[in-house]
Amino acid sequence: MPPINTATGSATSARRRVFATVVVLFLVVTVFVIKLVDIQVVRADTLSADSLGNRSVEQTVYGARGDILGSNGDVLAGTVMRYDITISPRNAGEFTRTTDAGTVKVTVAQAAAEIGAVTGQTGDEILAIIASALAGNAKSDFAYVAKKVNVDVFRAVGELNIPWIYFKKNPSRVYPNGAVAGNIVGFVSGAGEPQAGLEIGQDSCLASTDGVETYEKGADGVRIPGSTVTASQVVDGGDVITTIDTDLQWYAQQVLADQAQATGAAWGTVVVQEVKTGNLVAVADYPSVDPNYVSGTEPADRGSRAFTDSFEPGSTFKSLTAASVLDSGKASLKTGVIAPFRYLPERGGNINDSHGHDDEKLTMTGVLIESSNTGMAKFGEMLSDKQRYDYMKKFGVGTVTEAGFPREDSGILHPYQKWDPQTAYATMFGQGLTTTALQVSSLYQTIANDGVRQPVRLVEGCRQADGTVQHKTPSTGSRVISADAAHDTSDILEMVYKNSWVAKKWEIPGYRVAAKTGTAQMPNGKGGYSRGYLVSVSGFAPADDPKYVVSVSLADPVKMNTSAAPAPVFQKVMSQALKKYRAVPSGTPAPDLPANW
Amino acid sequence: MSQNLARAFQPEEHDLWSPVAPAERRHIEAVLPRDQRKARPRIIYALTASAGMAAIVIAQLLLSVGISQGAYEISTLQASQVELGRTAESLSEDLVKVSSPQNLAANAAALGMVSNSNPAYLRLSDGAVLGAPGAAAGTPEARSGAAGLVPNALLAGVPLVTDLPPAGAQGTGISGKGANGRAADAPATPAAAPAPAPAAPPSGLPSPTTH
Repeated sequence: MPPINTATGSATSARRRVFATVVVLFLVVTVFVIKLVDIQVVRADTLSADSLGNRSVEQTVYGARGDILGSNGDVLAGTVMRYDITISPRNAGEFTRTTDAGTVKVTVAQAAAEIGAVTGQTGDEILAIIASALAGNAKSDFAYVAKKVNVDVFRAVGELNIPWIYFKKNPSRVYPNGAVAGNIVGFVSGAGEPQAGLEIGQDSCLASTDGVETYEKGADGVRIPGSTVTASQVVDGGDVITTIDTDLQWYAQQVLADQAQATGAAWGTVVVQEVKTGNLVAVADYPSVDPNYVSGTEPADRGSRAFTDSFEPGSTFKSLTAASVLDSGKASLKTGVIAPFRYLPERGGNINDSHGHDDEKLTMTGVLIESSNTGMAKFGEMLSDKQRYDYMKKFGVGTVTEAGFPREDSGILHPYQKWDPQTAYATMFGQGLTTTALQVSSLYQTIANDGVRQPVRLVEGCRQADGTVQHKTPSTGSRVISADAAHDTSDILEMVYKNSWVAKKWEIPGYRVAAKTGTAQMPNGKGGYSRGYLVSVSGFAPADDPKYVVSVSLADPVKMNTSAAPAPVFQKVMSQALKKYRAVPSGTPAPDLPANW
Repeated sequence: MSQNLARAFQPEEHDLWSPVAPAERRHIEAVLPRDQRKARPRIIYALTASAGMAAIVIAQLLLSVGISQGAYEISTLQASQVELGRTAESLSEDLVKVSSPQNLAANAAALGMVSNSNPAYLRLSDGAVLGAPGAAAGTPEARSGAAGLVPNALLAGVPLVTDLPPAGAQGTGISGKGANGRAADAPATPAAAPAPAPAAPPSGLPSPTTH
């Protein structure tokens, strides 16, 4: 090769190559620029509109509201997924469906009939929904066909493959046990807002937070792996663990409702409390709401009167006065008083017994068996008003219990300085003050538990998703009266159980039981008393090793306006509690205390 | 080749005498062949690099094919997981519902069971009887009152065991549940003939002949 030729040749070709490269580059860049302008400017709107639906999908991740559980883990309130069926009325029209027999045309009427057959509506009803939506707005794109249908209906409608049907998730609350503990659990509104009971009281534990996540999807709608972005984290609610035994709760409600209907009572309550722990094992109300069907119950009956209503307790309260006097040492089991029919104390007041009798020489045992107001007054006046007031406070009277139930009543206990003589005496036998069923139960729990009052517990705590239980409720007891005073009071109540005029009605063979009846006038809502009575029975068993307190109240049982009405309820519920928890009778003999002197 | 080298020096001499720009370029061009000689083995490197890139591209392609294949599989599996989750939720809902005390008590009563409110115990160590045993009263009152005093709206339409067709007549409950779990909700009317109340339980439980 001639050297110079080569040199000049390569120089020329290099120049050409550079030129060619520049030209090609220029062309490529030009093509790119044209394409860029086309995409970014000319077709920008169309493309971004197209991409909006395709590029990324934002979806709500529903957090589950926590469950409310019984002490055995039974679900009293749970969350389930329900579906709303919606339609696009403006798109509702004929469509084709591919079946085994080929494609067939489906008219709107046919489709409506098919939907109705699944949802339990008629085809005409669904056509009416479409028509009324279009009448309101000719371009209507949304109307509800059915709300909160279950998975079966959701699937069945989905299988119809109707193009203008859409589904919306709607997490809902379900109460598998119906009215069992419905009074305590409460309910939520259609929109899921808590309305009553623990649903409100424990909402801070139960509430969940919905999350949002976005993901990219392909043209065919398939989620692109690894494209999920969690915009906000979903937080499930915690589970509220209650102390309620579902089975016993049902039994108490059943027995209470049965007796309330038989005696014509306006309402009633049963409280079952565990002596050693203060746990509420059952709190029955009659009438009681079925949270699955709230509108089936009168608004006034949708809560729990055991927590929210207070009444004059009547004679069941005499146990408190007796325990206080015994604890102070002012009297013993052998101390006697003379109980007249009518007692007019020096400081004022007028105390009568419920039925006429001659003067009786009664011990404290005799006073409680006879349920003598005058006898009780003579024991009660051994203490000053302040002393008795302080005992009442320590027993929990006039204070909201620790149960933490929403809108719980504290009852009324006026300061002792404001007591007139009649009130001062009336408070000795359960008048002139009001208590809730829970406070009465707590009073008997204290006596049964050697004089130590346990906090009333309805909720064990809030169980988080990781299994830890938070917000545990307090469980440390406080001594109210000495163990000796508690045992003496228990012995007296056992004598009452054996010798009361309702002894046959509340007898639990084989067991030693301590119990007391009560009959109190009820307010008429106008500052006076109505003709009706609140009749009650409270007690505990086995008396030699107390396990359970049962407290029964019936309001105005018109067909049987005495303590004989609640006594069988006490007998049945107490038997069931003893049987269920295998409280074996010890067989030790009951004490025998003198009633007279 | 040696000629080439010799000539390569010539322009350099020219360069000394008449420094012309083209000559300088020629001088640079002349070095190239030497580089070329060195570059020849580097083709292997180029090939290796190209092959590597090709391999990477192919691998990437296969990987994304694999991933998108996986995406479809994941998508299918997720869809079936959702469906199965719904089925599981629906079934456990049914289970919890029929486990409610109302349902159990109603079924027990339908089978003729009564609650005994006289608890008594037998202590095995010495055979002692604790409590006061007594026969349960078979009266309606002993059956803890009328049914349905504690309502449960969810139990509407749930049949009692005594109303169910005998096992075997309609297949087992589980296989009958296969289709959307709807089979059990619809009490099969043909076999639900009004059975006499104290009839033997249809589930094949041994019926007592003595009382």
